[in-house]
Amino acid sequence: MLNDLSSIFLNVEFYVAIVRMTTPLLLAAVGSLLAERSGVVTFSMEAMMLMGALGGIIGSGITGNVWMGILFAIVFGLLVGLAYSVMAVSVGAHQIVTSVGLNLGAVGLSAVLYALTFTRGEEVIQTVIKVSSLPLVKIPLLGDIPFIGQVFFNHLPPVYFGYVLVPLVWFILYRTSWGLKIRAVGEHPHAADTVGISVAKVRYATILFAGACSGLAGAFLSIGLLGSYMENMTAGRGFIAYTAIVFGKWQPVGVLLGTLLFGAADALQLRIQALNLDIPYQFLVMLPYVVTMIALISVVGRASWPASYGNPFKREAG
Amino acid sequence: MSKQNKLRAIWQEYLERSFSVTIPILAILAAFAFSGLIILAWGSSPFAAYAALFSGAFGSPNAIATTLQRLTPLVFTGLAVAYGYRGGFFNIGAEGQLYMGAIAAVWVAITFPDLPEWLLVPFCVLASGLMGLVWILLPAYLKARRGINEVLSTLLMNYIAIQYFEWVIRVDHIQKGILLFGGVEPVWTFQNWLGIKDATQPHPKSAFIVESAHLPSLKSLLESNLIANLFGGADWYQELLNITALGRISLAPLLGVLVVIFIYFLMFKTVTGYRSRAVGINPEAARFMGINVPRTLFITALISGTLAGLAGGMEVLGTQHRVIPNFLVNAGFDGIPVALIGQLNPLGVLLSATFFGALRAGANKMQVITSVPVAVVYIIQALAIVFAIAGTTVDIGSTLKKKRIAREMEERGKLQHVKGEVSNA
Repeated sequence: MLNDLSSIFLNVEFYVAIVRMTTPLLLAAVGSLLAERSGVVTFSMEAMMLMGALGGIIGSGITGNVWMGILFAIVFGLLVGLAYSVMAVSVGAHQIVTSVGLNLGAVGLSAVLYALTFTRGEEVIQTVIKVSSLPLVKIPLLGDIPFIGQVFFNHLPPVYFGYVLVPLVWFILYRTSWGLKIRAVGEHPHAADTVGISVAKVRYATILFAGACSGLAGAFLSIGLLGSYMENMTAGRGFIAYTAIVFGKWQPVGVLLGTLLFGAADALQLRIQALNLDIPYQFLVMLPYVVTMIALISVVGRASWPASYGNPFKREAG
Repeated sequence: MSKQNKLRAIWQEYLERSFSVTIPILAILAAFAFSGLIILAWGSSPFAAYAALFSGAFGSPNAIATTLQRLTPLVFTGLAVAYGYRGGFFNIGAEGQLYMGAIAAVWVAITFPDLPEWLLVPFCVLASGLMGLVWILLPAYLKARRGINEVLSTLLMNYIAIQYFEWVIRVDHIQKGILLFGGVEPVWTFQNWLGIKDATQPHPKSAFIVESAHLPSLKSLLESNLIANLFGGADWYQELLNITALGRISLAPLLGVLVVIFIYFLMFKTVTGYRSRAVGINPEAARFMGINVPRTLFITALISGTLAGLAGGMEVLGTQHRVIPNFLVNAGFDGIPVALIGQLNPLGVLLSATFFGALRAGANKMQVITSVPVAVVYIIQALAIVFAIAGTTVDIGSTLKKKRIAREMEERGKLQHVKGEVSNA
C-alpha cells in the first residue's frame, strides 16, 4: 500500500494530472474573481460551465472545427452570464437563489439542446458523439525541459490561458483603474456611485467576463479532456470552484492555491483508482469534496467577504 | 375611519394578497409559454405536448396515483427548504439528507424484519428523519457557531452522501438467519454490517424491504376490517375497491399533508417558529430582542434536515420499497424551486409540489405521444423559478403593502396629534 502510494507521487503523470484537473477549476474561479470582488455572488458558475461544455460540443460537432467549439463555448457562457446579470444586477433578485435556478435550468436546457443538435428526424442518436477535440500543444524549448516541461508545458491550449489568467486578474485588480473601480463597487457601491462609477456597468462587465471564462472551462472538460459530452458532465465543479474562491479569500494567488488543492485531490483520486487498491472507489470520488469540507472548516472561518457581497445595488436605498 | 376609507383598505389588502398568489401562477404560465417556443423549435405542437402532459398527470386514476407518488418527496424537501430559508438557513443539502434518510429507513427494515408492523413502520420513519438530522449537524454547527456559509457546506455534504449511498448499496448486508442458526460464521466487519445490498443480485440494488415495513396503501386501508364493517354494504365502497390505482397510493401523501399543516403551525403559531423567522428576517434585530441567534439557527437547521430525511424515508416506505442508484433524481435539489414558487409558505409548498409532481408524472406520456423530450420539463421548472424570483423581487404586492403601512402610520400620527391637542387644551 505504501509502495503503491509512493509510486503515485514519483510518477510524473500524477503531476501532469494535477495541472489538467486544476485547469477547469482555475479558469472558472479566477475568471469569476472580478465579479466576486465587485460584490456579486457567482454561484451560477456551474450553469456557465455546463453550457460552455455543451457549446464546445455543439460548435465542434457542427463545424468540425474545434476552435469554433471554443468560440461557441465562450458565447454560451456569455449568454448565461447575461441572463445572470439581468437578474442579479438589473432586477436585483436574490443572487444565490437565482444561481440555483440557473443551475437547475442549465441541466435541462443543455440536455434538450444537445438532443436538438444531434438528432436526425425523429430518432435520437443514442451513441456517444465523438467530436474533434483540442490538440496537445507542446511549447518549444520549455517543453523539452525534463519533468517540468512535461508537467507544465505539454498541455491543451486552455491550460496556458490559465497560466496567463492569474497574473492578468491580479494586475487588473490591483494595478489598473478598472480594478480600483471593481473593488470600490464591491466594498462600497454607494460611494462608488457618488463619484460617478456606474455600478451596474461594472457588475455587468465582470459577470460577462466570468461567463466567458467559465464557458471556456466547460469546453476544456467536453472538447478538451473527454472529446464528447455527458449529461450534467460538470458534476459540481462550478461549486468546487466557488469554494476555491472562498478558500482563497478573494485573492488571485489564494484562489490559485485553492484550485490546486482540489485539482490535486482529484488527480490523486484518479491515480488511486487506476491502481486498483482495496479502497472502494466511491470513497475516492468523495475525496475532493471531503478535502473541500475540511478546508472550509479549518482555513476559511469568517472569511473576508467583499463588504457589499450579494447585495443588489439600488440608488435610492442610500 | 370613514366608510370609503374602509372599503379602500379592504380593496388594498385584497390586491396585496392576490399578488402573492398571482406571481407564482403568472411565472408558471410564462414558463409554459416560453417552453412552448422550444417545443416549436423541436418541431412539435406545444398544445398537443401540454395536453399529453396534463393527461399523463391527471387523466386517469393511475395517472393521479403517479402524480401523488412524485409529489410526496417534493412536499417534504420543499418544506425543508422553506422552513430553513425562513429561518436564515438556506439548506441546499436536501438531496444528501434525503439519500441518507432513505438508507436509514431501508437499513432498519432489513435489520429488524421481525418487528410487528405497528412498530416497524414508525421505527423506519423515525430513522429516516433522524438520519437527515444527523447529516445536517455539521453544517448547522458550522453556521451557528462559526458563521460558515451553509450554502457551501450543505452542498458539499450532498456529494459525500451520494457517494456513500453508492457504496452502501454495493455492500452485502449480513443475513440475520445465518447468525442465528450458526451455519456460517458471519464476519462482523464494518462493511457488511452497514451494507444493504441484495446479495442475490449482481446489480447494485438494495434488497426489498419486508412487507411489514411498507406504509399501508389506501386500498389496504379500505379493506381493513374497521372500514369494511362500516361501509361494506355501500355501492360507492364497492366501486372504490375496484379502482386498482388505490393500491399504488400509500399513506405517504396523506402524511405529507399532515406535516404541511404541522409545519404551518410551527412556523406561524409557535414561539419556535416566531424566533426562527425573526432570525431569518434580521439576525441583528433578533439578537436585540433577546433571541439566542446561534441556538435558533441550529434548531432551524435540524428541523430542515429532518424534513429532508423524511422525504427519503417516505419514498422508500411508501413507493419504491428499496433503493437503487438514482432512485430519486434531484428531488432534493428541486425542493428549492418548490419552496420558492410556493412563496416559502407551507401551504404554497403543497401547491407547488403538486405542480412539480404533475410535471414529472406527465413528462413520460408527453415524450411517448409527442416525442418532446422529458428534459423540457426541467426547462419549464427553471423558467418558472427564474420568473417567480424576478416577480417576487419586483413584487407589486409588497410595494402596495409598504404604501398602506406608510399611510396608516401617517393617519395614526394625525390621530396622536389631535389627541395631543385635546389633552393640551
